[in-house]
Amino acid sequence: MEFPAALFPSYFGAGPPQEEGGPAPVAGWGEHGQVLEGGSGRRQVQPAFVPRRGAMGERWEAADAAAVPVLLPSAGCWIPSPAPQDILYRSGLCRKLRAGKSGATLDFARQLGHFFVDHPEDAFGSLGCLLHKNFYLGNSKLKVIVTRNSTIRMTALVEDIDRLEARRGCPRQHLASRLRWFSHLCRDWLFEVPLGLLADCLHEELTQQWSNLLFDDSLTGGALAWLPPEDGGTSVGCLVHPGGQAMNQLYFQDVVLEELPRTQGSPAQFELSGRIQQVAAARVDGQDFVGVRSDYHCGVWRVLGKRGAAPTPLQVIRTDVPASCLTVSPHLPGELSVCTQSGTVYLWSVETGLQQLRHDPQTMFFRDHSPWRWSDFTAHPRVLSCADRTGLQCLDARAPKRCHFDLFKVGDEAGCQQGERVVLPMYLGRAHPSQYLVTTQFSMYVLDERLPLVPVLKWAHMMKAPPLFAHLMPGKPGTSHKVLLGASRTQELLLLQYWDSFWGVSSGGSQSACQLVGTPQKLHSIAECLQHLPTQLPHRHHLLQQRLAAPAAGLTATLQEDGSHKSMLIFQLSEAGDVFCQRLTNKAAQPPATPSRDEATTAPGSSPLFEAPASSPQGLGAAALRYRRWLRVFSRACREPPRHTWPPSLSQRRLFTRRDLEGPAGPSSLQRQMRQQLRQTMEEGGRIQHREPLALQPPPLPTLEPTGGPDPLSARLTAAWAGDWEQWWEERTSFSVAQRQRALRERRRRQKRAQGRCSLSASFTSSLTYQSELSELSDTGPLLLPPSCPPILSQESSPPTGSPPVHSFATSAAPNEALLSSQSLCCHGIPKERQKTLRDYLSVWAEGPPEPPGCQASQLCIPSSQSQLSSASQPRHKRPRMGF
Amino acid sequence: SSSEHKLNFKKSKEACLSYIQDALLQKQWKRAAEFLTCYVESLEKDYSREHIGPSEMIWRIGTEILCHHSQSSMKEFNCFMEQMKTLGVKRYLKVCLEHVFHLLCNGQIDEAYQNLSLAESWRFGEQTAIQDKEMKLIQAYRGLLDYYSWFKQKNILLEHSEDGFSDLAVEQEMHGYFRKAAVNLKEIIKIPGVWDIFVKCYVDLLEFYGDHNEARKVLNEYAYNSKFPANPNAHVYLYQFLKRQGESKKSLISALKILHDIVPSHELMIDFNTMLQKSKKRKKRRLGLEVIFAALDYAGWKENAKAWSCLARQVKQIVISEKHLDWIKQEWSSRKDWWPAFHFSRYLAKRNWQENKSLSYEKALVAGILLGKGCKYFKYVSHRGCKAQLERFQMLKKFVNRHNPVYLRISG
Repeated sequence: MEFPAALFPSYFGAGPPQEEGGPAPVAGWGEHGQVLEGGSGRRQVQPAFVPRRGAMGERWEAADAAAVPVLLPSAGCWIPSPAPQDILYRSGLCRKLRAGKSGATLDFARQLGHFFVDHPEDAFGSLGCLLHKNFYLGNSKLKVIVTRNSTIRMTALVEDIDRLEARRGCPRQHLASRLRWFSHLCRDWLFEVPLGLLADCLHEELTQQWSNLLFDDSLTGGALAWLPPEDGGTSVGCLVHPGGQAMNQLYFQDVVLEELPRTQGSPAQFELSGRIQQVAAARVDGQDFVGVRSDYHCGVWRVLGKRGAAPTPLQVIRTDVPASCLTVSPHLPGELSVCTQSGTVYLWSVETGLQQLRHDPQTMFFRDHSPWRWSDFTAHPRVLSCADRTGLQCLDARAPKRCHFDLFKVGDEAGCQQGERVVLPMYLGRAHPSQYLVTTQFSMYVLDERLPLVPVLKWAHMMKAPPLFAHLMPGKPGTSHKVLLGASRTQELLLLQYWDSFWGVSSGGSQSACQLVGTPQKLHSIAECLQHLPTQLPHRHHLLQQRLAAPAAGLTATLQEDGSHKSMLIFQLSEAGDVFCQRLTNKAAQPPATPSRDEATTAPGSSPLFEAPASSPQGLGAAALRYRRWLRVFSRACREPPRHTWPPSLSQRRLFTRRDLEGPAGPSSLQRQMRQQLRQTMEEGGRIQHREPLALQPPPLPTLEPTGGPDPLSARLTAAWAGDWEQWWEERTSFSVAQRQRALRERRRRQKRAQGRCSLSASFTSSLTYQSELSELSDTGPLLLPPSCPPILSQESSPPTGSPPVHSFATSAAPNEALLSSQSLCCHGIPKERQKTLRDYLSVWAEGPPEPPGCQASQLCIPSSQSQLSSASQPRHKRPRMGF
Repeated sequence: SSSEHKLNFKKSKEACLSYIQDALLQKQWKRAAEFLTCYVESLEKDYSREHIGPSEMIWRIGTEILCHHSQSSMKEFNCFMEQMKTLGVKRYLKVCLEHVFHLLCNGQIDEAYQNLSLAESWRFGEQTAIQDKEMKLIQAYRGLLDYYSWFKQKNILLEHSEDGFSDLAVEQEMHGYFRKAAVNLKEIIKIPGVWDIFVKCYVDLLEFYGDHNEARKVLNEYAYNSKFPANPNAHVYLYQFLKRQGESKKSLISALKILHDIVPSHELMIDFNTMLQKSKKRKKRRLGLEVIFAALDYAGWKENAKAWSCLARQVKQIVISEKHLDWIKQEWSSRKDWWPAFHFSRYLAKRNWQENKSLSYEKALVAGILLGKGCKYFKYVSHRGCKAQLERFQMLKKFVNRHNPVYLRISG
């Protein structure tokens, strides 16, 4: 590729950014930037100029009024991640106080309260049991003098607390003296976990959740990839996307590109041990390499060019620190680059293993606190770019310490603003071998590695949230390249077009500089389709709104050319696992004579989507049908109660024979009496009142708590029986707080570390499903269960290969063994002394349980914070769950 | 409740702006224009201390709408721009500059020149750093337009002189343009930046008037001043100038050597390689091999038949003469672990054969020598070539077979 004969003029400064600024709502409009003499010169009378921005581009128009679902919603309710209102302090007073100050107040007290209510066993377990005799829970007054001395009436305390709650936010509130007295008395010893330590942990978790809410960079790059069909082949491509409640299932779904893309067959499915954060793909020598990143694992799959061939998992690596980037080389098969949050960059080759290129916990050009790192490939297969928030450097993998140069710097060199930070770099190799895209929260830059530091193109993109996703669609020679930018939280999608070069006649046919052409175009977001859907019941509407507004998690697109008819298909993935798609069609570049259709505003429920086109025999368009089906499955998925909230139950059938269960032949006297009463009441037209104690009370639910372990009460009794009760009490109470804190801190640290190692041997066992039936989304296909149904064929993967840091798929351990391994139990916070009990208990169940505690198995494979979704019974969904 | 009023006003202003933004991003120019007429009210009570004030917003949005609205005309555009210039003092020069760009892109060179002259004479208090930069750019663009006028006059004069008569008035006018252009162009290229067109025009002027020393000084400064970005074009211009001046091979080579050091993938590397190959000095031929190997490292050169033929020619020469096999060995040692997958895979053999036979011939020759006759690429291409009974490929097969031991010496 030739270097442009002349570049657009620009100043070149050095040092920190000069320009003050911040988010400017319209900064990208109305500028040509600079001009360059483009088409003229010696042969013409007048020079002709071309602008850096603002030349005519191709015209693309949306084919439908909204994005259309590609996949059916998965079974099981999606639990939204915490929203700001869940963890922020809400009260009128506080808002007033805060009006002047910036910054948010986290509602620490409420979260602590939630913990006490949700996990009373963990919070007060032993002392609660010890003291239960001394707490009186009735309403009546305590009468007997003897008990009065050692018993307190808790009801009064609860009343006081309620009163306090009601007066919350009142500036004149006084603590009820009784409450103060009680908390003063028992603050030090009542809690199982020392209060100070608990508060520390909670606060740490809260601030982390809050910073994630402000900007979650773990999703950078996006978790959606499109593997296009081979050149000149069929129109069947493959969509690689995560799914499942914890987003830990990887699907390779064949998709037929028709007017509306439609799935074909069942997806190949792999269960991974963590939430999938990024899916990256590149095609080398006719094979697709798909890299998948979760927090502590990265894996690579190979998909052969021919469709229908099953994807092959090649290798997995595990990292101690969360990985922040995974990119696949477009030059050499089986090469990837990996970055971790500790500032390490690796070149990862499937054949030769990992090569560390750089390790530097500090940022490159100036100090920035973010541990985020990124790396990508460049025009030279041995040179990798690596980025942090302050800029990009290129390293030669053959001599990474010596050979490097700065490609982009947040500074005056590129005309950056103060506070600007790199959000996503991307190699644009498919369009131009030496060009690079860098996005920041304010602007997008195109860089040429032959002219480092000076962007060949810069434009303020004006997006409300930083663009975490980008996708390139290279144009053929003579047409523009298209770049899509996508944001996560706001679901924004922006289509840009640029020419990497235009042909200047004057310079004797040599190439000229890079230009941004056409106007940027906003595309439909997933949430926008809500206004086009039929009117829903209010609560259904709310659920739908919540679901559709889930932050975006990925973006991919493909260009389709069918003779003169060109169209573009854009897929967008949401955090809830929904994949929506929209089609844009190419119009000849001419100014529109009439206002386009969407200039007319649409009222909810009266959308063009749901208007019956005359041509359609069913009376509705394909998009509308697609919506109907999606809505139907969605409402079904939401109606059924989430499985994990069912109380554990025992089947009685195996414990008792049928005869045992059968009562006496005739109705009992009580039954007879009841019937008679019922009949009588019906005749009288009255109602039945529970005057008498009924014998028909439901039996108490059998509990599945592990009872074998020495609970504090029985331990105490045993000790008392043996005569050394006093010593036991000493141990229990005067066990110095400091000692306990130390032990618990150590435990917490161990747990945190263990989260990293939580990958169990059973992780990454893959399972493929093959089903010949058409999936549900094909319009004619029968309705099946969504893809989370149990895999039919489970296939163990290849034996481990490679050097020590490279861990291949483990195959030996059966899931049950892994479930009982002490490491895994440790990971779940089960103390050592209880492990044996639990193990014994579980082994009993494993022999033939009527209904095994199913959630445990899935919990195993998810080290991320999502795991708690499937843990203990949690009736309230809207409340954020902290990582306890 | 004036504060409340203020707050409400701010809110509705923001809402209006977001509607405009939405319309612009969906190319609904008419709708955006309607909202903009409402937004103009925001100028009245401008309490904001934001980075971009309402007047600049209106300028930006209005320009964008007028550029794309189906019913807008150049006259309206000019009118709008004049109003915008009076609206904000701080951004006057910026608006002028953008107006000029728009005029230039629409071919209204004379109007653009007038606007530039007007803007140049504008004074308002003390200039900020940004305004200073903008002013310099305005002067430079005026210089550029002067250059084009000079160029026009020069052509007229040359035509006339061919006809055999000279026109003193035209000549004087031409010199006038030269002076005006030279003054302004000279100023801007002193400041660090990318000034490709300005430098080119200035050097052209100097060369016409025979001031070669000054031209050389300017080009050297543009290429070698460390305050300027590492612009490959600066070196290209210098090289082209030296070539025009008929400088010695040695100085040409040294100019290209520096270009090679900063951009090994520049397209001039082919010229550089040919120049070096022809040299009698061993060191230069050695450098030539290095240059062509380095160029072929880059993805953009993968299918460059010219470069492959350069490499094939030089490698063949070395193999036949059996001298300097260590040169190849040295170059190959840092590439042998990735070139086979990058250049010589079976997939590429198939594709190159289908798309470009002569490329696959050159590559097969290199592959055969570097990797031996057992290499996938060579085997595929020579097999296909022999099957198609192409003499070239039969010769190639014989050549590689004869020199097969070389490969052991290179890779050993």
